[in-house]
Amino acid sequence: MKRLLIAATIALAACGGDGARKPSVPAATDLLTIGYDREPDTMNRYATHILEDIESCVVEGLVTNDETMNIVPVLAAEVPTTENGGVVLRTDGGMDVTWRLRPGVRWHDGVSHTSADVKFTVDAINKGDWKPESVDGFDRISSVDIPDSLTAVVHYREVYAPYRLQFVRGTLPKHLLEGKSIDAATDYNRKPLGTGPYRVVEWKTGEYILLEAAPGYWRGAEFPKIRRLLFRFLPNTTTRINQLRSGEVQMVALVPWDKVRELRDDPAIRLNTVVGNGYEHVTLNQRHFPPFGDLAVRRAMAHAIDRELIVKTVLDGLVTVVNGPIQPLSPAYEKNVTVYPYDPVRAQALLDSAGWRKGVDGIRTKGGTRLSFTMITQSGFAIRENVSQALQQQLRAVGIEAKVRLIDGTSISSVWFTGDFDAMLHWWQQGADPGITLFFAGDRMPPSGRNINYFRDDTLTGMLYASDRTADEAARITLLRQAQRRLATLVPELPLYNTSKVDAVPTNLTGFTGNPTNAGPFWNVWAWQLTAR
Amino acid sequence: MPRTVASTRAPLVALGLLTLLLVGAALAPWLAPYAMDGLDLANRRAAPSVEHWFGTDELGRDLLTRVLFGARVSLAIGLISALVSAAIGAAVGAIAGSAGRLVDDLLMRITDAMLAVPRLPLLMITAAVLQPSVPTLVLLVGLVGWMETARVVRAEVLSLAARDFVAAARAMGATPTRVILRHILPGVLPATAVATTLAVGRGILLESALSFFGVGVQPPTASWGNMLYQAQSTMSSEPWLAIFPGAMIFLTVLACNAVGDAIGSAQS
Amino acid sequence: MIRFVVRRIAQGVPLLLVISLLVFALIHAAPGGPLSTYLENPNVRPEDIERLRRAMGLDRPLGLQYLSWLWAFVRGDWGFSYADGRPVLDRLAERVPATLELVASACVMALMAALPVGILAAVSRRFDRVTSVLAVAGISLPVFWLGLLLQLVFAGALGWLPSSGRAAFDGGDLADRLAHLVLPATVLAAALSAAWSRYLRRAMRDTVARPFMRAARARGLRERTLLLHHALPNALPTFVTVVLLDVSMMASGAVVTESIFAWPGIGSLFTESLARRDYTVLMAFLMVGSVAVMTLTLVADIAVYALDPRTRDAA
Repeated sequence: MKRLLIAATIALAACGGDGARKPSVPAATDLLTIGYDREPDTMNRYATHILEDIESCVVEGLVTNDETMNIVPVLAAEVPTTENGGVVLRTDGGMDVTWRLRPGVRWHDGVSHTSADVKFTVDAINKGDWKPESVDGFDRISSVDIPDSLTAVVHYREVYAPYRLQFVRGTLPKHLLEGKSIDAATDYNRKPLGTGPYRVVEWKTGEYILLEAAPGYWRGAEFPKIRRLLFRFLPNTTTRINQLRSGEVQMVALVPWDKVRELRDDPAIRLNTVVGNGYEHVTLNQRHFPPFGDLAVRRAMAHAIDRELIVKTVLDGLVTVVNGPIQPLSPAYEKNVTVYPYDPVRAQALLDSAGWRKGVDGIRTKGGTRLSFTMITQSGFAIRENVSQALQQQLRAVGIEAKVRLIDGTSISSVWFTGDFDAMLHWWQQGADPGITLFFAGDRMPPSGRNINYFRDDTLTGMLYASDRTADEAARITLLRQAQRRLATLVPELPLYNTSKVDAVPTNLTGFTGNPTNAGPFWNVWAWQLTAR
Repeated sequence: MPRTVASTRAPLVALGLLTLLLVGAALAPWLAPYAMDGLDLANRRAAPSVEHWFGTDELGRDLLTRVLFGARVSLAIGLISALVSAAIGAAVGAIAGSAGRLVDDLLMRITDAMLAVPRLPLLMITAAVLQPSVPTLVLLVGLVGWMETARVVRAEVLSLAARDFVAAARAMGATPTRVILRHILPGVLPATAVATTLAVGRGILLESALSFFGVGVQPPTASWGNMLYQAQSTMSSEPWLAIFPGAMIFLTVLACNAVGDAIGSAQS
Repeated sequence: MIRFVVRRIAQGVPLLLVISLLVFALIHAAPGGPLSTYLENPNVRPEDIERLRRAMGLDRPLGLQYLSWLWAFVRGDWGFSYADGRPVLDRLAERVPATLELVASACVMALMAALPVGILAAVSRRFDRVTSVLAVAGISLPVFWLGLLLQLVFAGALGWLPSSGRAAFDGGDLADRLAHLVLPATVLAAALSAAWSRYLRRAMRDTVARPFMRAARARGLRERTLLLHHALPNALPTFVTVVLLDVSMMASGAVVTESIFAWPGIGSLFTESLARRDYTVLMAFLMVGSVAVMTLTLVADIAVYALDPRTRDAA
């Protein structure tokens, strides 16, 4: 009986749409359906706690990062630097940054985008009760002058090296939000007013957000070329990839590495890989597990791990091995650092000479302490669970016992924040700015920073702070390169590999480049086009 | 009604299967062809073959080995949690059935309340909070499974208590405790056995559901449930990674239910 | 009768309070909490975290938080979701229709299978032998395994049905909605129909074995007549209560199915909220689920009490 019903329904469905798999491209080329892994909490770029992919289609920043991580102007006419006079260092130790805005840009409601909006944004963040998520650097701004409608002069109390990205999230429309409480501005937070290529048509909670091309876009009437974008919320990875393969969605950003295999042979999908701006590493908490304080132990561990093999097998060759926190794509990247190649013999020798002798069970001890610790990592990521087990096996081969413990996403942050762990398989997604002081300065252990190796080296700390205090990019890069070399000799953590980003897009999508930074793959969505097949 | 040969065969087969599973699980360290955490990165995702009867997984570990070791965990969780449920349930049911109206009402309302709270969501939250080890997991699963047993036991006790032999025992001066222990509990045993057998299956299913959401048994420890969870992402290309553990869960629970049914119908 | 109802309600309320207290304590004992997402962000300073903690009221003693939550809850104010700041009541309410649609469809499918199969199994021994194996298999299947398999076969390999979601974006005609409904409803209906057919069969057979049936048999009535005209009507009332109860429990238990099929109901809301430690939503979910089941249990008990005088003596 039930069988009859099912068969009948299948037959019905089969009649409904010619039965076979839906074509991956709709008849029209004016709709792109994206399978997105979560529903945004808000469309307000400053307030959201997650990546701003959807938001950035509507609200543009003064600048953005392109696919090579260069900072390019969007709503600004050009990026202010010391060379073009946009940045002036004051004698009192502060600096003034002059932003010249692009003329002819209008908000979607027709009102002109002016410097008053810039000033309003700074004031809203600094003076009001509103304290959103992403406000780095605003607290160092003392005031903003607006000599004319297209110029905003931002006065910083001190030299702030990442100033160029200060307004990467754009501005709040003064004429709409002045005098209102921004947290309670549900209309704005659900359907923000922006200057970007798209505007929000509908946000159906739990299901999707639909964007359509905004008329009067400043780049020209022919942009954006794709008239509508539909973001479907599909938190379950298997579901999302299945829908991609069946054609119900056409694009998925940030495909998990273990899913790439399934998509490689799909004729309708192109996999776009960008070297990422993040890296995975093994954090070694010296405070909680004192043997990590011994440089010989850390170096031995570095030699014991066969990173090439892990990348080739567990990660299907989708990522590249790296040796430090600043990634190859960054202008501050230093290639010539100490590298620790896979060499278990050397590892054993280092441990032996450091006094760690192998016990009967194969695990080394010294002075009564066993070289045995717990390595935590976030659960729910198949690849990381596998990597941690591969590491476990490789460490065991040299006499180090690493017990693996999985902790779920929301709990793990508070664990490492309180330093209550031995080692952790972890990753940092770096911001576009190459600063790493937060992670390695001796006085930046939580809660004042993210130095979760709880390690301290005064020389390194000095280099890092010096790099923060200069607005001269060349000088900054030199200092950061020094810092990277020192980091590699001290190896407080074990860098593993770069987290490349793989996006799956339809083969008839042109203009897509991907993006290694948090600007996300939609950074140039206005330029995309779906060609007819 | 006359029992046909066919109707006695099925439960025997089920019982045989369960015994086989238990023995296999107990002897896993000796039966397993490979080491439990033996990674073989060069030989990952191999299809079933002569060297690897069930194929290998993402890290090149032999699936048959993991299924055998996983049996230990899943069966242990199922069995011991069922015993915990049985103990609690029998106690609650017996007391409710033989005590006065007030106590009976109270206990039954507690039972109803526990049955009202959505079981899987409650366990999921608890597991997320406690991030339990396997023994704690056993306890938790046991703590949400006693209500069915309590109801069944209470019903049995009530019907037994109304019978003549109990009245006779009381008339002869037996204390209520003695009545419970010597006369009622033995009569309650068959019903408890049925409920417990069914609870084993339920416990295994609960554990696999929890592991499916990543809050049950944590890798690298293998359980059938978390093997399914890990196999989720590769179901289309390496279906054997999901088919074998899932089939084991299915067969075990099926066998438990078949045996439970058989005991149940043997009573009547 | 009234006394019975009043007494049961009076007993139920304190128990709901105890449940709410336990659930509250449980959720707040979780490491992490809604502030954990901020910790990952290197740009959020400790002062900001403290400020947010105060704004969310998370710095007050736990007992106070519970009491203020409870007082608001019973007045219909279920608070605001930590995930997007919208009222919890809204977030739950907008998802309920989807779950109702799924559960109702599964229920209908299951009944269409269970009723004829259960009755036939009680009547015909041959039929029974075949279907009893299937029924036991039905209740033994792990829900998510079945879901994944169906998805693999019907959506992946054959491409006949969509793999997830409730409707195509700009479609939504009846055929499309049905197509999306088939797989998840089938998964839910499988276990339900197996359990219900077994229950019905057993209930009918049990009734037939009862003493009052002997009289009817003595009058020379055939087995089949006994089953259909006496046992079935007798067993139906309790069967209905069983169905009601199972359905009320299924609504919140459909968590797994909604997750696999990306069905936008309260089950998937639960999983998302759990991942984000959205306390207010989780509390509301458990309370609503418990209240619904307890209410239906009460209704069922009243129905049985009213219909069957014999149970009053045992109560």
